[in-house]
Amino acid sequence: MLLWSTLRVVFFVIAATSLRAQAPDFACEVQPVLAEHCYPCHGPDARQRKAFLRLDSFAAATAKRKDGLQPIAPRDPANSALLARINSHDPAFLMPPPEAKKPLTEKTRALLHRWIETGAGYTQHWAFLPPQQQRTKGNDVESWCRDDLDREVLARLHIEGLTPSPAADRATLLRRAHLVLTGLPPSTDEVAAFETDLTTDAYERRVDDLLQRPAYAEHLASTWLDLARFADTYGYQSDFECRTWPWRDWLIDAFARDLPYDELVTQMIAGDLLPAATQQTRIATAFFRLHRQTNEGGSIEAEWRNEYIADRVDTFGTAFLGLTVGCARCHDHKFDPIPQRDYYALGSYFAIDECGLYPYSTGGIPQPTLRLSTTEQDLEIARLTAEVNSATQNLTLAIESAPTLDDLAPLPAAIAHYTFNELANGKTADTNRPDKPADVPTGVVLTDGERGKALQFDGDSGITLPGIQGFSRDDAFSFTFYIWCPDHKDRAVVLHTSSYTEDADTQGYQVLLREGQLCFEIAHHWPGSAIALRTAALLPLQRWIHVAVTYDGSSRANGMAIYLDGVRADTAIVRDHLAGPAHVRTLQLGARDRDRGFTGGRLDDLMVFARALGSAEILLLATGVRDDSATAKRQQSLDTDQQVLTAREKLTAARKGLHGYVESLPELMVLAENATPPERFVLQRGAYDQPDRTRPVQPDALTALLPFAAAWPRSRLGLAAWTTSPDNPLTARVEVNRLWAQCFGQGLVRTQENFGVLGEVPAQRLLLDALAFDFKNTGWRIKPMLRRIVTSATFRQQSVASASLRERDPDNRLLARGPSFRLSAETLRDQALAAAGLLSAKVGGNSVKPWQPAGLWSDAGVSWGGGDYQPDQGQNAHRRSLYTYRKRTAPPPNLLTLDGTSREVCVARRQSTNTPLQSLVFFNDRVFLECAEALADRMSRELPFAFPAQLDRAFIALSGRAPRPAEHAAMQTMFDLQRAAFFDDQLACSKLLFLLANDPERASLLMVCSTLLASDAVMVMR
Amino acid sequence: MTQPFDHSFWTRRAFLGRSSLGLGALALQSLLCNQSHADRQTDGNGLPDLPHFAPRVRRVVYLFQAGGPSQFETLDRKPLLNELHGQPLPKSVLGLQRLTGMSGFQAILPMAGSFTKFSKHGACGTEISDLLPHTARLADRICVVRSMQTEAINHDPAITFFCSGSQISGRPSMGAWLAYGLGSETRNLPAFCVLVSKDANRDQPLYSRLWGTGFLPSEHQGVQLRAGKEPVLYLDNPDGISRAARRKQLDLLAALHADQFAHEQDPEIAARTTQAELAFRMQTSVPEVADLTAEPASTFALYGERAREPGTYAANCVLARRLLERGVRFVQLFHQGWDQHGGLPGGITQQCQQTDQASAALVADLQQRGLLDDTLVIWGGEFGRTAYCQGKLTANDYGRDHHPRCFSIWLAGGGVRAGHVHGSTDEFGYNITDDAVHVHDLHATMLHLLGIDHERLLYPFQGRNFRLTDTAGSVVRGILA
Repeated sequence: MLLWSTLRVVFFVIAATSLRAQAPDFACEVQPVLAEHCYPCHGPDARQRKAFLRLDSFAAATAKRKDGLQPIAPRDPANSALLARINSHDPAFLMPPPEAKKPLTEKTRALLHRWIETGAGYTQHWAFLPPQQQRTKGNDVESWCRDDLDREVLARLHIEGLTPSPAADRATLLRRAHLVLTGLPPSTDEVAAFETDLTTDAYERRVDDLLQRPAYAEHLASTWLDLARFADTYGYQSDFECRTWPWRDWLIDAFARDLPYDELVTQMIAGDLLPAATQQTRIATAFFRLHRQTNEGGSIEAEWRNEYIADRVDTFGTAFLGLTVGCARCHDHKFDPIPQRDYYALGSYFAIDECGLYPYSTGGIPQPTLRLSTTEQDLEIARLTAEVNSATQNLTLAIESAPTLDDLAPLPAAIAHYTFNELANGKTADTNRPDKPADVPTGVVLTDGERGKALQFDGDSGITLPGIQGFSRDDAFSFTFYIWCPDHKDRAVVLHTSSYTEDADTQGYQVLLREGQLCFEIAHHWPGSAIALRTAALLPLQRWIHVAVTYDGSSRANGMAIYLDGVRADTAIVRDHLAGPAHVRTLQLGARDRDRGFTGGRLDDLMVFARALGSAEILLLATGVRDDSATAKRQQSLDTDQQVLTAREKLTAARKGLHGYVESLPELMVLAENATPPERFVLQRGAYDQPDRTRPVQPDALTALLPFAAAWPRSRLGLAAWTTSPDNPLTARVEVNRLWAQCFGQGLVRTQENFGVLGEVPAQRLLLDALAFDFKNTGWRIKPMLRRIVTSATFRQQSVASASLRERDPDNRLLARGPSFRLSAETLRDQALAAAGLLSAKVGGNSVKPWQPAGLWSDAGVSWGGGDYQPDQGQNAHRRSLYTYRKRTAPPPNLLTLDGTSREVCVARRQSTNTPLQSLVFFNDRVFLECAEALADRMSRELPFAFPAQLDRAFIALSGRAPRPAEHAAMQTMFDLQRAAFFDDQLACSKLLFLLANDPERASLLMVCSTLLASDAVMVMR
Repeated sequence: MTQPFDHSFWTRRAFLGRSSLGLGALALQSLLCNQSHADRQTDGNGLPDLPHFAPRVRRVVYLFQAGGPSQFETLDRKPLLNELHGQPLPKSVLGLQRLTGMSGFQAILPMAGSFTKFSKHGACGTEISDLLPHTARLADRICVVRSMQTEAINHDPAITFFCSGSQISGRPSMGAWLAYGLGSETRNLPAFCVLVSKDANRDQPLYSRLWGTGFLPSEHQGVQLRAGKEPVLYLDNPDGISRAARRKQLDLLAALHADQFAHEQDPEIAARTTQAELAFRMQTSVPEVADLTAEPASTFALYGERAREPGTYAANCVLARRLLERGVRFVQLFHQGWDQHGGLPGGITQQCQQTDQASAALVADLQQRGLLDDTLVIWGGEFGRTAYCQGKLTANDYGRDHHPRCFSIWLAGGGVRAGHVHGSTDEFGYNITDDAVHVHDLHATMLHLLGIDHERLLYPFQGRNFRLTDTAGSVVRGILA
């Protein structure tokens, strides 16, 4: 303790005399200058480094160079080459070079001189060292303090020679607590009750009460939605709707339960991988699927897949670490110790098995997804699963008891058979269905085949075969055909069942050539929800080969098979995760819209069977050779045994029952482990198609901040452990800073998005560190931390600042006064709704559409995703603003005008502006006008004909305090003038009021309330 | 013509910024290790260090042709394509360029000759398609750039790139940068106005992010002026509230704020009163500017009779001139419908009919009013189209896919080299042969004409200084007079 007070004194002396020749603070003063002017070429980024010189470490900057010069010679300015360069008058010698357009000022040159003169001390960036416990203890002046945090604040104020401001009055304090903890104002009754509650802990009890309210959890969640870039649509181009709200409801519930922050973060990063994973913890991972996605025709899938990973990495960095990790996408970070390698290593965790385009025509949801079920639905799923299991057992029994027969039919009947032997009027027929011939376009021609004639394709035209049954994922089927491939195909469509376009719309089954290998695939959405085989060998070229693909309806890859020339081919399982319907839209050969066709390829003798053929049957088909082995006989016997067939049908029905039920449940995009993780490399300049194959990356974290412990798995679970480790220097600071910003309108580090070298060094650094230390050492609990802040003496100060204090500390960084800030867009609307008595108390559920001016969606041409905006009626018009539907390409205009964000990327801090358009919103937006009218109605109901009292209570309802005499007089004056005017112009009066016509008092009160909504006392928390 | 500078306060930190210049604050800042990268906000009059040098123009109107107009039918004649019509585009020309997923898988890519005729126009002899007769008459007053190129290959990233200098993420739009850097020359209208055609074929959507502020303060976002009764959202008083009644409300607000200021001592309170008064004035100035009925018949003779219908491209061109006259810094028109993947001859003919006369009229009108000398006019889309046909090439019909590697735009106005053609493409119109102009270069040149060094108009965000031209761009001297 003695040591500490000595340090305090030393610090005070250093700080107070730093304008004279004392060592400047490296972190606060010197590093920002070096970072901005020198690090771009002489900093952490190895690839951009010039002249092999780095100035971001003492050892490197002070080392003697080949030419004998020393860039920085501590305490020896005359021999410091750096000073010679920055003070040079020769443009060729001057640093920074003039073309960099970052000249140093006289002041900064003097600063560097003084720093070198006093020893050129380097310290590690403050935010990259773990926060330490602070030991500030009380002394005689500290009766003001209510909490240790106040002692930190006071110690800092003493250094500055400042004293705290007096406490705010009780009404002001009550309003603050309500607004910062719940985003809603105190009701008039609550104001009155608090006014008369003179017990010593009245305020603390109120705070405890507020922390238990659902509105608290809603408000906390609201502060996270910008970080989560939460919206109800995908965000690019046609901007279709997507379901995201279950994640928002998970978040509300987590805050209501006061889920510890480390668990909250862990669930968002790796909720699916937890040993005790539940539906709720899996929903949490949707945080990383809330980024924008595109389905614009012609987009390059790999490019967008790469962008999605980049967004996840950026969001991870901004939300949890307060770092600009994204700067290391194209090169090593210029200021912070984040090499490009670490950036891609982080991305490895987020390379899920997805398609870079969301479906345009199938209405499906990008994979991977989670089916959301209630407890009752889980029971039904369990029952249906048991039926499948029992049907499987019955099939096994039937198979065991079936006899092996000798006299067998050679083959089952094909349900379709195209010989392609002739073209009549541009059509070719199924021998089973001559009435349903297929049109053959001019690009497809007859050629010599393996059996008579065959079709040859030009790559752009395919033929569509009508009338063939569309098998579901639960049906067994087989296709057989002859194929002749002219050359090596990187990709070619042989047979498919999807109607349209790109990978995300690929649904049903298909046979493709990929890199010369034959692939048989059944997809819900390629690739995340599919089963697929690929032959090990390349398909032989320029000769006819008999192909058979079979599937048993099991939804598993091992229920699929490929046979070439009658022999089962050696195949690899490419995907084995079919989690949704595989609807068949069409059956086409040789080409697909917006895909690479089978150019120059030939097909012959296509047969379709409604069950999985056995190997003997396929051998027979392909070669005419009959397999008389016991195995073949056994197989064929089973395929004809009535009991087996019945048991199979029952199994199929049970599967359809289960899948039909599960597929009717809502789906949510989530994270899931990638069974086939891609090889990843550093991408040159961040470009998706420029992997640097000499620089492979493995999952890792930002190693300069905290090495990845050996005990942690190299999975998202390990990443979560790294993020929430007590040794991680940033996670607790960033969250505590966010909670502080919630209460004070700005963080202790105002650059909430950047705690790196170029971020703001907090004026109250020890305070932040003390809170961060306590936060992680007392269980990462958010409610107790907020309680500490709002019950502190610091928070209770009045926000009024004398002119001299305002001049001294315009932004209140030292905290010699209480908080004041303009309320957020959401809180402004919610406050008006609450005061008016209109606010719905419903928590959670679908997003809602309050009133907005008509035609905005269709005006912009963004109505593709579902027509124009249709405002909700009734309760849904008056839900809290965090439930307001967010279409990213056309966000709610009033929220945007009041500095709300468009939710396109993760945003850690909003701007606060003051514009004329905001004034128009308060006065003219029907949403606010409706609140003014409802508030006027409420007053005339509660205080009939007592007009002065109505004015006062309306004022209290909106501002949480009684009007001062001058305010009351101003309201009364306007009320009287306007009442007289409405008596003269009853038409105007009746137009204004939605409900009752010709009530000049109520109309005048409405106009007073409308004005209050635009006034400082209401829109600002003071 | 333009109104004098008005030093009104647009942001919350305006007063604070001024007061922080006091001595005490200076001392405190050094003690607090205040950083250059803390918030930086302006007061709507732009940055103090701007312009960096004498500007050639004071305002910009950008006639954005959304969807990607084909250069082959408008500004870049390629007779070889007509000669080789139907033959595959040689692989040597295609090179390794990426194609979209729409035509990239086509087995053959047949060249498509243009159905339009081209003629030489003006003293300069610039070749322009007969689909643009009005623009052609301006040949000596415009500078055609045939060597534009961009990076994106799909609409959303490409149009976002043109409007913000980046394909991805939430960067500020061009107009927001100008409003931030140069401020406004009018106190009664927004510095950045956006007009979207109602008569366009909306084949591709637009997004409000195209005129958004990204990380700049939201006051700089473009304000869309819509056709109809209420040109700006929330502009009109509710039914029953007259202008006199609103005046009473503002008087009440001023009285409340006066008392609040007396107690709170916060200068921002006064700024709120100022903003409300400004809104009150906008309620008359905006309808006044948006009302074209007082325009003389000669206006409609010049721009075409379509201009009588509010919201059409032609009407928006008239409105753009009215906004520019009143000191608006940046006006951006959007006209959709140029995305002719198929049915190109019919589609592009209609597009040109909707836009040609009014585009040309705007240039002529600005010139006759003496405004063209200090206004920059830009006409162009987000990319061009392919030399080959997308889908089936038939006798009378064809389509073209997106092509980012070369396309054409035109510019007019102060500092622009009129009657000039800049850059050229190969005889297939597939690659640039000379003087490529990248989107960043166009932005750098636009800023240069406004007196701004594009490398010095910066905004610190997330630990980095951002600019409209990202880390690239250079001024294209060849298109400067």
